[in-house]
Amino acid sequence: MNAAYLCTAYRRVCRALPALAATMASMTAGAHSASDAYLTLTGPTLNGPTPTGLRAATAAPGDQTVLHAQWDIALRDLDFVLQLDDNGDGDIVWGELRRHQTDIARYAYPHLHWRGDGRSCRMAPTGQMVDDHADGAYASLMFDVICPGKPARLRLDYQLFFAIDPSHRAIVVFRSADNVATSVLSPDKARIDLPL
Amino acid sequence: MTVLRQALDQAPTSLVAADRLARAYIDFGRELGDAHYAGYAEAVLSPWLAQSPVPPIALIDEATILQYRHQFGEARDQLRRALAQDAHNAQAWLTLATIDMVQGDYPSAVHDCSQVAASGGSVIGIACTGNLRSYLGQAQQSLVLLTQIAGDAPSLTVSFRAWVQGLLAETAERLGEWSQAEDHYRKALALTPKDNYLLVAYADFLLDRGRPAEVLSLLRDSSQSDTAFLRLALAKEALHSPDVAQYVWIMGARFEALAQRGSDYFGREQVRFALGLQHDPQRALDLAQRNWEVQRAPWDARVLLEAAQAARQPQAAVPVLAFIHETRLQDPVIESLARQLEGQMKSSEVSQR
Repeated sequence: MNAAYLCTAYRRVCRALPALAATMASMTAGAHSASDAYLTLTGPTLNGPTPTGLRAATAAPGDQTVLHAQWDIALRDLDFVLQLDDNGDGDIVWGELRRHQTDIARYAYPHLHWRGDGRSCRMAPTGQMVDDHADGAYASLMFDVICPGKPARLRLDYQLFFAIDPSHRAIVVFRSADNVATSVLSPDKARIDLPL
Repeated sequence: MTVLRQALDQAPTSLVAADRLARAYIDFGRELGDAHYAGYAEAVLSPWLAQSPVPPIALIDEATILQYRHQFGEARDQLRRALAQDAHNAQAWLTLATIDMVQGDYPSAVHDCSQVAASGGSVIGIACTGNLRSYLGQAQQSLVLLTQIAGDAPSLTVSFRAWVQGLLAETAERLGEWSQAEDHYRKALALTPKDNYLLVAYADFLLDRGRPAEVLSLLRDSSQSDTAFLRLALAKEALHSPDVAQYVWIMGARFEALAQRGSDYFGREQVRFALGLQHDPQRALDLAQRNWEVQRAPWDARVLLEAAQAARQPQAAVPVLAFIHETRLQDPVIESLARQLEGQMKSSEVSQR
């Protein structure tokens, strides 16, 4: 089972069971036994039909390549660095999270670096929401990765949390038109090259 | 912890400050059953772990983290490096003794405990030996030794007293002294009410005694811990609770997430999940056999015997049965399972003739 499917499955079940979600996957700061983040990358699909259920990336004007990304980061981990739980009651409530949305983005994004065939790509945030996983609530950062030209290879350098928790892992799922590839990033393997 | 963090920020080159903060993270994470704190501790130690030679304190803290993650081989390596520099480090010997006991290497643990006593004094040495004897068919002597040091209680730290009470509870269980075991669990939890290890051990006791409803209230605030969550799910199953499927699903998803990140902390728990909640004896047996290669504590023996029985493969239990005979492990549940499996093997031999 790949991570993207897992996230979707978490979401589906947690939303179908509101009572359980309230007890087990509420927006609590204390959750789960290890630190994981899930980064799902979609596209680019420049040719051919759009796979069902996926937002396909498209070639943007001005000869750019765009990929869509969703980055799920545990609130529990963000709380450790950003103190999201303003009133210190152990729960991160929606109001607290909304107040800290900008802080989360400002903290998280600089820990990702993208290059397409050696040239820098930029990130353009498209939204932020809360997502329930089996082990608690996650902040979902949605963004586009915009690379100049039509690179054949996309390089990701990932550094989130590694300096404060070397046991953090990023589970990267890359969904291209005809393939799903999963990879786990760690301090020893913080870089990955994805063929586009 | 904030104070310790500030102390390190003010003296970032102080190994003493780093050790204090790392230890606080490790202990807090253990108490909660939350592995994040082991990661934070590792980050605090990282400047010293990069030195050559690594200071013994940093090696021992790192070994404790690795032991917590069940990376026993790597933990042993770090302890050997620490002891090469400081042969009389009681903490290093005690950690090594714990690993040897978890892995069922009792001759080595005997040596480790004698070194613990020589380097750390008689109380900690007796705790080590008392714990060890409970695995070697000497649970009654173990009870006497542990009771003796529990009597010294006022001079000892709360966490040490709770640890001794927990050992007493488990030793009483080895002897089938259920009310005595419960009394010690309650005493231990009165000292450290949030200790995940104690909560889970007491929950197992309650599940064994057919009191699953009490597990739900005991672990009400502990669902963030994977080990506690498994006991909640097992209690739900025992109670035929309508929401058991949801618990099973979440537990499965958590194990899946751990597998994805390449962590394999919970061999014993995965066996119990496969057997008691997924009702898949063959998978449980496969997992139990893999777990037995890594861990050989009484619960590891027990889950393999239970899986072998459920899968109707008594032969698969042979290595564990040999281990039990060799070590003379006492435990009413394990002894009963062992007798049944040996009976099944004999009757299948007869029928094959």
